[in-house]
Amino acid sequence: MAQIFHSSMNSVARISVFGLPLLFVGSILGGTIIYRSPYITGEREVIDQPVPFSHKHHVGELGIDCRYCHTSVETSAYAGIPPTKTCMNCHQQMWAGSDMLGPVRESYKQDKSIPWEGVHNLPNYVYFNHSIHLAKGVGCYSCHGEIDKMNLTFQDKSLLMEWCLKCHRNPGPNLRPKEEIFSMTWRRDKDHPNPKTGEAWTTDEIIDHNKLKIRDAIQITSCSTCHR
Amino acid sequence: MTRTTEEPLAPVVDHEQWVGLEELAKSPEFQDMLHREFPEDATAWNDPVSRRTFLTLAGASVALAGIGCSPRPASREKIFPYVRQPEQMTLGIPLFYATGFTQGGITIGLLAKSREGRPIKLEGNPSHPTSLGSIDAIAQASLLDMYDPDRSRRITKKGVDTGWDTAVLELRTALERLRTENPPRAIRILTDTVGSPALGSMIQDEFLKLYPSAKWVQYEPANRDNVREGAKLAYGEPVNTVYDFTKALRVLSLDADFLSNGPGAVRYTKDFNRLRNSHLKEGGKVPSAEEMNRLYVIESMLTSTGGVADHRLAVRSADVEAIARNIAKGVGAAVQEVAISEAAKNWIKELVNDLNAHKGKSIVIAGENQPPAVHALAHAMNGALGNIGTTVLNHAPIEIKPTTQAAEFKELVAEMSAGTVGALLIIGVNPVFTSPADVDFKKALERVSLTVHMGSHSDETAAECDWHINQTHFLETWGDGRAHDGTVTLCQPLIAPLFNGRSPLELLAYLVGDRTELNPREIVKGYWKKNWPASGSKVDFDAAWQHALQEGIIPNSASARVDKQPNAANIPAYTAPVAGLELTLRPDPAIHDGRYLNNGWLQELPKPITKLTWDNALIVSPKTAEKHGFKINIESTGGGEHGRSVADMAEITVGDKKLKAAVWIQPGHADDSITLHLGYGRQKGGKVAKGTGFNAYAVRTSGAAWNALGVKIAGTGETYLLASTQAHFRMEGRRPVRQGTLHEYEENLKENKRTHGKVALFAKVPPVASPEWRSIDENVPGSPNEWKGEKAKEHKHEHTKDDKKEEDHGHDDPRLIPLTMAPATNKEGHRWAMAIDLTACNGCSACVTACMAENNIPVVGKKEVTRGREMHWIRVDRYYEGKADDPDNLTTHFQPVPCQQCEKAPCEVVCPVAATVHSADGLNDMVYNRCVGTRYCSNNCPYKVRRFNFLTFADWKTDTYKLMRNPEVTVRERGVMEKCTYCVQRIRSAGIESERTGREIKDGEIVTACQQACPAGAIIFGDLNDAKAKVNTWKQQPTNYGLLAELNTMPRTSYLAAVRNPNPDMPKPKGA
Repeated sequence: MAQIFHSSMNSVARISVFGLPLLFVGSILGGTIIYRSPYITGEREVIDQPVPFSHKHHVGELGIDCRYCHTSVETSAYAGIPPTKTCMNCHQQMWAGSDMLGPVRESYKQDKSIPWEGVHNLPNYVYFNHSIHLAKGVGCYSCHGEIDKMNLTFQDKSLLMEWCLKCHRNPGPNLRPKEEIFSMTWRRDKDHPNPKTGEAWTTDEIIDHNKLKIRDAIQITSCSTCHR
Repeated sequence: MTRTTEEPLAPVVDHEQWVGLEELAKSPEFQDMLHREFPEDATAWNDPVSRRTFLTLAGASVALAGIGCSPRPASREKIFPYVRQPEQMTLGIPLFYATGFTQGGITIGLLAKSREGRPIKLEGNPSHPTSLGSIDAIAQASLLDMYDPDRSRRITKKGVDTGWDTAVLELRTALERLRTENPPRAIRILTDTVGSPALGSMIQDEFLKLYPSAKWVQYEPANRDNVREGAKLAYGEPVNTVYDFTKALRVLSLDADFLSNGPGAVRYTKDFNRLRNSHLKEGGKVPSAEEMNRLYVIESMLTSTGGVADHRLAVRSADVEAIARNIAKGVGAAVQEVAISEAAKNWIKELVNDLNAHKGKSIVIAGENQPPAVHALAHAMNGALGNIGTTVLNHAPIEIKPTTQAAEFKELVAEMSAGTVGALLIIGVNPVFTSPADVDFKKALERVSLTVHMGSHSDETAAECDWHINQTHFLETWGDGRAHDGTVTLCQPLIAPLFNGRSPLELLAYLVGDRTELNPREIVKGYWKKNWPASGSKVDFDAAWQHALQEGIIPNSASARVDKQPNAANIPAYTAPVAGLELTLRPDPAIHDGRYLNNGWLQELPKPITKLTWDNALIVSPKTAEKHGFKINIESTGGGEHGRSVADMAEITVGDKKLKAAVWIQPGHADDSITLHLGYGRQKGGKVAKGTGFNAYAVRTSGAAWNALGVKIAGTGETYLLASTQAHFRMEGRRPVRQGTLHEYEENLKENKRTHGKVALFAKVPPVASPEWRSIDENVPGSPNEWKGEKAKEHKHEHTKDDKKEEDHGHDDPRLIPLTMAPATNKEGHRWAMAIDLTACNGCSACVTACMAENNIPVVGKKEVTRGREMHWIRVDRYYEGKADDPDNLTTHFQPVPCQQCEKAPCEVVCPVAATVHSADGLNDMVYNRCVGTRYCSNNCPYKVRRFNFLTFADWKTDTYKLMRNPEVTVRERGVMEKCTYCVQRIRSAGIESERTGREIKDGEIVTACQQACPAGAIIFGDLNDAKAKVNTWKQQPTNYGLLAELNTMPRTSYLAAVRNPNPDMPKPKGA
């Protein structure tokens, strides 16, 4: 009787026994890595804008307060993208003839919105609220990164749900005294000490100082906190 | 298929509750259906795939494949900021504007919620006398009308587009020619009832003055001619009667559905329940029969009002007059007795005594469809009972020109037919559809040289007119109106006209010409600058105007009181109606006279009593149906269907007019009487309206506008599929509604205090309270059931740590400890809960439309409703008790059922993907983005409150609907489960607001959409951890019970049993 399997099948069998599970585990691992990669999350991806607005120039160099443009950040869910009028407040005088600002002037003249590209996009079933985060002592920097160093704005964090949850489970490390909410340079270290102690701020000190309690993790990780 | 867990657990009691005749008959189809989560058809994928659907699906697959290519969780979007941001507008924060919704010349004040310039929700205006913060189903749903994509978008002349300027120019020239002709040709304006002072002044003081040959005619099919004529008989002038139900301990309704129809219904429901809710006394005290009002209703069709009556007499609508005469005689009015049936005689004997014992504290109210004589009789009775000036207040009429509309309309059509009318301006009405069958308006229209129609839709009348001008929706323009008591209501626009419509004010202003004010805002403001109600001091108009706009009303502008006593001398002599079958026509509870037929929310709203959707029907009593051989079958397609009611078709003959329509058998309906609702069967109603119902105007004649006698009916042998939701989502006869009389309530409470030996039967008001976390039932082991008699003193159950203290548990307290090992609940944070008072609920369904608007609930269409796929998050179940063939003793109960937000939610444990989980504050969260559509949760929900998106029900295509949606609530996709969330978006936004400022959420700060709408105040919502919260005081009531609490679900929503206040001296039902 002829052999049913050629002897080379031994190798195939060995490879299958070890290789297939490896492939399976590998593809899952690979999938999760890809899912978390900037390719999917859009992290640090610079997006072209109709007007190459530079936060670095306006915030870092000129020192304009965040709230000059993002007016509703303390009161509403949305920080607010400034109306063209806000740009024109200054640019009617400064750089009034600049080519770069052409679309801004056109928008103002024709009463048509500037079509900005959204940088931070959340899925539609997520309801994020800026005002509560600020009120509780989460600074702009914690989510938006070093905006004052960005020429064109990009998304600094992954915005994945696990990233949100990391802080919702333990908000402490991301809290800062309310005076420093809009600061891009404040860090919780010895260089920025608590004037009362002379040491770096502790979470409890910050909560005391801000006079607002932080709800426990069970409450702020309930699904309907963000999804509804 | 008997599953023991699904057997009713409650003891079988003498009188059962049932929802429809098929349940009462216990047909096998119905039984089978009960055991299914959804009807068989609903879960099948057997929709025939047409070529069109195939292409859609193929297209969708390609699109989906495209989506598959982008694995990013969020798509990149563009941001379009304002160029110049409007003042006061903050992105993400809603603004509220006071405005008003007008129907039949009466305006109800509203607060319209605007998000980024788009009105997304209408709420009642608390400052407005007609609303007091509540709203009815129709006013709520009027929001959808504004976004209706079928609205007319053009100004046309003989079907060809023209612009506004051309139209105005041409019309002015034409009118001018008619005016200057010798003799001048007649010009006619046809409108519905006008209560707007600005529009009235525009017509009367300007238009009619400029065109001396012009005349103004008002006509709407559901008019109040009878009310006005009746008032004229009684007072010699058409006074406007306003009722004060807060002082009326005894109320007699003569065929009047005052709680859900007619002017002031919202206010009357509120007031009526002030004396109805008196059982909600502190400490669970039982009110005396003198503290709670008592409602007697005599009517033919079972209505919302009849449904909550303490005593109801079902008679033919035509026979009400005779009974009214005898009651009037009994209470001392100067009228003669007439012959009535023995049963009615017995019935009214005690009623008369009761009314006589409450002089000055009672109300007799007659329905709009009753002849003037009955209204005059009601006035005479109120006069004789000394109610005038106390509970019945007469005011000067609120219509600009109170007329007898039917007569005026007939006269107009006669003139038109004679060819003497040169021009007819039809504004906001649809007479081609609504005119009586014996008045051929359409033909008469042909003889008018210039016909102009202004309307929101290109409807039946528009098609017959030379000109059509698209009209604005009330949310798009300025206006004014008057409340049911005459208070002037100002109506602000929320948005610029979506389809460039024009308002009637604007049209007339342009036709009058030579005005300085041409835009509606200027016109309304200009009118009120001249006519601001005089007050003692000098007013700064601009400040007063601003204030009035904010409040929505002009203060102290109610119409003047008329102090006159009624005169019974002018009541016409009685002529007995012929015996036999009658036909009663009524405005539809949802779509009124047909004007809202293209409104999906109202079409799909189960009508309060019949629970019919998408159709009207010839409504008859079971006895009458039997007599004529009509029946309704639940269609048996293997599994039985929810709501697939296959009704017999019948042809009805009224004089020489005939109509074929489906027959609906309605328990509680008077025998020998047929009720048919107006408004259905339109030819040019729009996409939603298409093919729904039967045109009642075809059998409505001007002589018998509301009631026709000598009617013949015969089956045609055909059948018709009706979509009624009455059999949907049943809870298998587990006595969901607990109810009892005031007497039974008191008895049980007394016994309970003495011993916990006797526990009331479920049929009666249970004396056992269930402060929410101790949801109880006598069927749970270790329950009061086992404590009967001597055993009562033995204490059978174990104490948990939480219950050790006497005051926590109270050993004479027959309540149960829930079967759970988990700690009771968190005492930290919030515990949201709801209580619903079944005494107050009259089934009006305002809550359902409010929920649809708030939560972006889709409309699914008739076909899907017949498969039990309607998406309403809150449903109003309607139960009957009593015999189907004994309408006088049939009691009706309404039970709104939203998600019960169980603490031990059966849905949560079965979800394989944790898409439904508990939040820290006790909400049963639904996470759409996790849901994979297994429907296990729905299968496990004993309350059947979960809704599944079997198809893409949400309209993702129509642009206008996108503007309307609440941006705070996810629009759900196909394949996703959804359910009531307690309006979690409102809870979270209040939570954020309070957390941000570091204060506590106040009781009453969060109101759910259903609670906000409810005119009866039947729903309360709040935090259980706030001891002073109103919801806690409700839940402490002895009448409080948890629905199906025996299943140990520990529902956060609880119900207060329905307490009625019947007259113990009234005749008892046969065999009772």
